[in-house]
Amino acid sequence: MQKTWRSHLLLAYSLAVLAFLYLPLVILAMYSFNDSRINAVWTGFTFKWYEHLLHNRRVLEALINTLIVGSISTVVSTSLGTIAAIALHRYKFKMQSTINGLLYLPILIPEIVMGLSLLVLFSQTRLPLGKATLILAHITFCLSFVVITVGARLDGMKADYEQAASDLYATPWQCFRYVTLPLIMPGIVAGALIAFTLSIDDFVISFFVAGPNSTTLPLYIYAMVKRGISPEINALSTVMMCVEIALVLLAEALQPSHKAKEQAE
Amino acid sequence: MNKNGKFLIAPTLLWLTVFFVVPMLIVVAVSFASRTPYGQVVFNWTLHNYGRFLEPLYLSIFGQTLVVAFVTTVVTVLMGYPLAYYIAQLPKRWQQPGLILCMIPFWINFLIRSYAWVIILRAQGVLNTLLIKAGLIGQPLQLLYNEGAVMLGMVYALLPFMILPIYVSIEQLDHRLLEAASDLGAKPLTAFRKITLPLTMPGVAAGTILVFISSLGMFVVPDVMGGAKSALVGNLIQNQFLSARDWPFGSALSIMLAVLSLVLIILYYRTLQIQKGGADNAKDVA
Amino acid sequence: MKKLITLLLCTFVLLLGGCGGSDKPQKTAADGQEQVLNLFSWADNFSPKVLEDFEKKYHCKINYDVFANNEELLAKIQAGGSRYDVIQPSDYMVATMTKLNLLEELDHSALDNTKNILPALQHPAYDPQGRYSVVYTWGVTGIVYNKKYVKTLPASWNDLWNPAYKGRVILLNDSREVLGMALKKNGYSVNSKDKAELEKAVQDLRKLSPSVLAYDTDTIKQKFIAEEAWIGTMWSGDASFAHKDNKDLAFVIPKEGAVIWADTFAIPKGARHKDLAQKFINYLYDPKVSAANYEYIGYNDPNAKAESYHSEAFNNDPMLKAAKDYISKGEWIEDIGEALTMYDRYWTELKTGK
Repeated sequence: MQKTWRSHLLLAYSLAVLAFLYLPLVILAMYSFNDSRINAVWTGFTFKWYEHLLHNRRVLEALINTLIVGSISTVVSTSLGTIAAIALHRYKFKMQSTINGLLYLPILIPEIVMGLSLLVLFSQTRLPLGKATLILAHITFCLSFVVITVGARLDGMKADYEQAASDLYATPWQCFRYVTLPLIMPGIVAGALIAFTLSIDDFVISFFVAGPNSTTLPLYIYAMVKRGISPEINALSTVMMCVEIALVLLAEALQPSHKAKEQAE
Repeated sequence: MNKNGKFLIAPTLLWLTVFFVVPMLIVVAVSFASRTPYGQVVFNWTLHNYGRFLEPLYLSIFGQTLVVAFVTTVVTVLMGYPLAYYIAQLPKRWQQPGLILCMIPFWINFLIRSYAWVIILRAQGVLNTLLIKAGLIGQPLQLLYNEGAVMLGMVYALLPFMILPIYVSIEQLDHRLLEAASDLGAKPLTAFRKITLPLTMPGVAAGTILVFISSLGMFVVPDVMGGAKSALVGNLIQNQFLSARDWPFGSALSIMLAVLSLVLIILYYRTLQIQKGGADNAKDVA
Repeated sequence: MKKLITLLLCTFVLLLGGCGGSDKPQKTAADGQEQVLNLFSWADNFSPKVLEDFEKKYHCKINYDVFANNEELLAKIQAGGSRYDVIQPSDYMVATMTKLNLLEELDHSALDNTKNILPALQHPAYDPQGRYSVVYTWGVTGIVYNKKYVKTLPASWNDLWNPAYKGRVILLNDSREVLGMALKKNGYSVNSKDKAELEKAVQDLRKLSPSVLAYDTDTIKQKFIAEEAWIGTMWSGDASFAHKDNKDLAFVIPKEGAVIWADTFAIPKGARHKDLAQKFINYLYDPKVSAANYEYIGYNDPNAKAESYHSEAFNNDPMLKAAKDYISKGEWIEDIGEALTMYDRYWTELKTGK
């Protein structure tokens, strides 16, 4: 009895936090139907921003650039970061603390300094600014976040399973593929989520390393601030939000195997 | 075995050396330089910029920033832990969708989400209107452009960095430990304090660090939610690059911020190491 | 293990190569058949229709990239390799970039239409001969106020200090604008490098700071439209913009004088498509094009010949008119060199309440 009382409280609290996360989104979606260009007060209902959005080549280009840069940097930084976290967890290195420090530093340096210093690096090595430089920069600042998140998972993991597997003559590769990887998967997913989130919302570093033809959504939006962010952006955000939620639900609906698995467990 | 280890860590180290260490060396060099009247950098190897950092004006900004970052971190733990806990104890198939549902708000541009908060909190905003209509207040409350609003904005911006690592830790908790504790007569709260919390500490530690560090460098939130009335380190550094055109001073401030954060992280982990002994004991007891 | 890493590295190389590859053919094709104009400007700074018409007329493609701050623009151009053809620095930044030798000299024989620019804007202090820049958008920083709450017509910067407006004042979030305003109030130049004069201005601002609701440049319009603020400093163009959504707002240029500012067109050194860049600039000062463009932007049109093509509403806009009447009296913000450090320090002190 006491247990349900506790779990109800936990549910209520969690829903409250979730409401806190979604409250601004509701307002934002509401104002995508607002007639005013400047979105200060409510002036009337309209669908026109959605129409404008369809014809706005530049916003759509920016969205595509954002997704390209975001997905590539997520895949690369998650792979590199996971491997590094495993290595750090399993082996002792001579300069362990130096390596740890190096992994933390990119988080500690203010974004603007990182952006400017990368700009200097790229211009000195004559790397033309564009999507490629954007991706290089994004991987760099996502890496540490992945290492830390996956590292937290590894720290809480018991060595027993890996030990058992290797006692049973599993090769290191088999041991990794069938034991370690499944065990740390939630950590990898969390790391990838953080990397993706950081990448698609980054403005400061992106600004300095972007070139012609590589404007991302945050760059586009921040530059708009001086004149007032167009409600088209609200419309776009609303569409994105709906698509994302629909995708999550769809992915769930398409996975019937889960239930069977759970029952087996 | 160690050869394998080196082989695994090499790509990341190489990457960070090329794209982080080398550019940072430039920043370190710049921090010992001076600015010309037109803002160009001249390398005359001076400690002047670090001297300026020690002035009471700038030290007080660092102090203020630490306070804001500390409060932000504590609040995010309090908000993030229960939510992460809730998701982690859902049936397996609902965990991933639950997590993604928490992340979706953060895939919408941060700036427009902050402006949405302004619409909610301002004098004629959604919240004040509701409170007045409900007869709870007569005059609109000034909810924006103060330190509370800045912290609210920071908590809102950084919550996922807390939720994700904590979830990762709780999810791997061995529930048999809790059952054993309860069989031995431990109250749920005691079990939580003695078993769950210590064993999920790696996640809390990672989350705390990510949130604390990220909040130190924030500058958009103080401007939008705080009405740019208080200066935090993030704004100070931003100003050196985007208005005072003083790259050397900005670089020196950034390096001091990084060093300070690194020291805090080391101290934090030391404290945790001591506690970890306690956690291992808990495991043995259970 | 090795296999996995090789696999990962291969994917990575492929992916990077892939996106580099998709970039290149586009560019060469564009260079071969139609020209490209790489434009680096503030966001939403042109009527999309005007840009489209130009693309059609000159068979070219415009790559419109955006920045949000003059210093960001400077950093990008200084680093080189950013390949832009037309940039839009503000007034003082033109002077800085000229001194740093970052701007290409304009060929005025190819810029016939720029003769249409209002005479008062032909020789601005930051570029007296107009060798490197032409004015694009311009305005004056004055006082905006809400007639519902501010009953006595403000005439002087002193009115911001009126205790009746406590907690309802907004100042631009810009050290030069705010300190400049306080300098003007005391009858000094906005470009003063005199420590005593600055000290006086800062003392006044310290008295004002408890009354300040917020420092804001970007969303100041929204704050006035939503009536969060009653009185404050604002650019004339923004005031006109805000007035459209809230008819109680009014704009006045204080008697002590005010700052005039401009965003300009300039061509960075080493621009690859200088010819096309000049054609573009010239095109935008065609009276008809200009009228269409500024109707969209809503800021003052610098084109003297465009008036007859503008709508009545545009020509009679009280805010834009106020700025236009003041045009020859405004003081430009200049690059003050070393003194900037002093300004920044005072600004930081002001923000921390020291």
